[in-house]
Amino acid sequence: MVTENAITINNLTKSFKGFKLEIPHLEIPKGFATALIGENGAGKTTLLNILAGVRLDYKGQISCMGENFANGADNAKVKEKIGYTGPGNYYLPHWTVNQVEELTGLLFDDFNKDRFRQICMELAIFPDGNFAGKKKVKELSDGTKMKLMLAGMLARDTDLLIMDEPASPLDPVMREKLCDTIRGYIDSGAGEKSVFFSTHNVSDMEYVTDYAIIMEHGQVVEAGFVEDLKEKYILVKGDKEMEQAARPYLYSVSSNSYGFEGICLAENMNALAGMNLSTERPSLFQISVAVMKANSRIMMNKR
Amino acid sequence: MKIFQNSDIPIYQQIAEQLKSDILAGKFKQGDYLPSIRGLAKELKISVITTMKAYELLEEEGLVTAVQGKGFYVNAQDSQMLKEQHMRKVEDALTEAIQAAEIAQMSDKELIGTLETLISMKNAQV
Repeated sequence: MVTENAITINNLTKSFKGFKLEIPHLEIPKGFATALIGENGAGKTTLLNILAGVRLDYKGQISCMGENFANGADNAKVKEKIGYTGPGNYYLPHWTVNQVEELTGLLFDDFNKDRFRQICMELAIFPDGNFAGKKKVKELSDGTKMKLMLAGMLARDTDLLIMDEPASPLDPVMREKLCDTIRGYIDSGAGEKSVFFSTHNVSDMEYVTDYAIIMEHGQVVEAGFVEDLKEKYILVKGDKEMEQAARPYLYSVSSNSYGFEGICLAENMNALAGMNLSTERPSLFQISVAVMKANSRIMMNKR
Repeated sequence: MKIFQNSDIPIYQQIAEQLKSDILAGKFKQGDYLPSIRGLAKELKISVITTMKAYELLEEEGLVTAVQGKGFYVNAQDSQMLKEQHMRKVEDALTEAIQAAEIAQMSDKELIGTLETLISMKNAQV
């Protein structure tokens, strides 16, 4: 499948004490939704902040929607095309919704006030359905603060959304709404608009994830279109007798008194031929956990 | 279109199968464009890559043709191919029945007997 990239990264590094983000090469496809998955501290937020232009103290080359910049160069031109929501609330607690609206309008030329109010209604930010501009940010729940940030982002005219953990503070109904919103945004761009978000809620976001990037210890350990990953990894289940023989070929094995299951690379399935096993297509969640566990272990052995 | 997220059959296959039935049933005529991949993903609440894979499957089977930047249009359908497709479906279903019969420890004779009974029941209904 031929696809263009929204973002291409080369030789990206950023060091902190005891942690190094190191990405030799990474592509994020244009016209799709890409999920960034990884354990706490894997470097997801650092990567998103670099791409969103929040953090400029990095080394490496980034190409974002046709613009190239390197080593922390100012990317103001690109930032105008990017919508961003962070992991925490970045509106000051004492701001009112009216002030949020006014200040976002001052910061971004493409901010559309009518659209902001309409999205506030669609996301049910105000329980009684009336726009309450005098409401203070600190009076809102965590989920509603996230919705307000989403409304501020979606009321702009962008080509790329970068969201750090947008699903975490949201309830199940709102998570579904978030998925609908992402699909609607992608559809509205007819292949030109892309979304890149980090998430721990892999299952909730599976049906909106086209491309998945899995990070561990500052490195990208897996990246690919979800439908391809589901063919690369195969979920294997078997009875107890088979466990010892199958184990060497499996990632992330879990076993109980009656049997076991694990994930096998499709290319290694030959080694399991002849064993009495059942196979299943894994979910993105199962793939993510298997890859994360496998790499945690590898890194631990290295030390 | 019905999508079962918890089915054993991958979603892209479910979509491809249903679109295929629609094409073979003439709901999409030769030259008609299928819905856009991103539009269909939005409607069905699934990811874009899944609808894309479904369309690629239909393309591989020769039912549709991709046009860069325009989407997928429906090809002229060959009636011989159509029949073969249906026959393959029958074979798959019967293979599944044979497997189930093994688990139930039915003899081949019992299995064939069951099929004959079902056929005569169906004929009696008509």
